Amino acid sequence: MPETASPATRQTLRLGVAGPVGTGKSSLIATLCRELAGELAMAVVTNDIYTDEDARFLRSAGVLDAERIRAVETGACPHTAIRDDITANLDAVEDLEEEFAPLDLVLVESGGDNLTATFSPALIDAQIFCLDVAGGGDVARKGGPGIGRADLLVVNKSDLAPHVGVDVDLMVADAEKAREGRPVLALSRHDAASVARLCAWVREILAAHRGGDHVPQDPGPMAPHSHGPDDHGHGHGHALHAH
Amino acid sequence: MGEGTGELGALLLADARLPTGGHAHSATLEAALAAGLPGERIPDYLSARLRTVARTEAAAAVLALRAGLDEPVDYTTVQAALAARTPSHALREASAALGRGLARLARRVRGDHPAVVGLSTAAQAVPGLRPMRPVVIGALGAALGMTEAQAARAVLYDDVQTVTAAALKLHPGDPLTTAQWLLDAAPDIEASVRAAVATEGPDDLPARSAPLIDQWAGEHTYATRRLFVA
Ligand SMILES: Nc1nc2c(ncn2[C@@H]2O[C@H](COP(=O)(O)OP(=O)(O)O)[C@@H](O)[C@H]2O)c(=O)[nH]1
Ligand SMILES: [Mg+2]
Repeated sequence: MPETASPATRQTLRLGVAGPVGTGKSSLIATLCRELAGELAMAVVTNDIYTDEDARFLRSAGVLDAERIRAVETGACPHTAIRDDITANLDAVEDLEEEFAPLDLVLVESGGDNLTATFSPALIDAQIFCLDVAGGGDVARKGGPGIGRADLLVVNKSDLAPHVGVDVDLMVADAEKAREGRPVLALSRHDAASVARLCAWVREILAAHRGGDHVPQDPGPMAPHSHGPDDHGHGHGHALHAH
Repeated sequence: MGEGTGELGALLLADARLPTGGHAHSATLEAALAAGLPGERIPDYLSARLRTVARTEAAAAVLALRAGLDEPVDYTTVQAALAARTPSHALREASAALGRGLARLARRVRGDHPAVVGLSTAAQAVPGLRPMRPVVIGALGAALGMTEAQAARAVLYDDVQTVTAAALKLHPGDPLTTAQWLLDAAPDIEASVRAAVATEGPDDLPARSAPLIDQWAGEHTYATRRLFVA
């Protein structure tokens, strides 16, 4: 029973995709498979409240062999399954890595329904947090751990912005402010240039992971709450207090 | 009371917050309700489990704990005997999945202990079957210094609480009622603890399966819109 290889020695990048329901996580994963499966060996794990809808969507999209897409049950606790008890996901990731070795990239889609769920760094090496313009221009400013500190924040469905009265540039600027320099990407699957930027980011983080230059970060379950004298920098200037 | 980790180990293994994958399991309750078990009969379902599958598993955990204290450690017979007494493929797989999560924990907290190192013997006992949950609980029990009764009770308590926690997701009800169900099950639990501790060896391991539970567990494998693995 081999212990799962530590990030330092594992060639595979485990990349989480979190964010509220309907913001386009499954679609983003389908896009990545479509764009990258030719150059990278990939697999996907989905977490649904009701088992395997996302996995079925991805299988039917025909962008990756069906056996490379696994769904895990989360006992109606999708947040737990990516953070407090990652067993089912870790088992699925390890199985895929073993069966389809060597894999370059395993994508893990979170299930669940709110802004506070983020992945434990014990499960993934890096994570994307996905918002969409239809959720409103304010969401990025309101913040939360994923918005503030995921490795990449995606503001998705930018093509819809004119229809929902959202200024994408402003939403991105708000998000950048909340993220202290971490990257933000306006994305639409109908905008090839934005898809190319997403793929470039994935290649970059994969290279950083392999080069040992990327350390998995925990965005945290909640915003930092400390206001003590030692609390320099972090937790200030964010509108992140999730009381 | 001991000095070591035995008492704490018993609490740790009973804690629903233990991050070893149990929260995604319902001890076949989801399938039982889908097959028409009325929600009011969940206490009967608990009692049926405690007298059948759970009793077998508790006894297997005791045998595994003893094997974990032997020299050399060898879980081959107990794993094979338990697998033979778990006729449902779905239930063997569910038990192996839970065992996998517990084994990950065991390697993390007591990776050097012979009882944990010896789990490789269980992995080889039945081709394609990882160490089952009771076997790993026995191994952890040995590594943490738990008593046989503690290991048996941990298996039985976890069985009940897996059902009660799932019940709150599957059937409307007052969460406090489920605590009453647990306490009402005390006679069944303690009878099975005594039977488990009195088990002399693998040949003596009870073969108490429950055909309906086996059938429901099998059907669940093909169910869509599941909340729980098993
Ligand atoms: N207009 C537009 N719709 C999108 C885009 N990406 C996803 N969607 C739609 O948004 C809805 C939710 O997408 P899905 O990927 O299932 O979201 P998930 O719940 O986060 O996985 C679906 O109807 C998608 O077709 C996009 O870039 N533009
Ligand atoms: Mg989805």
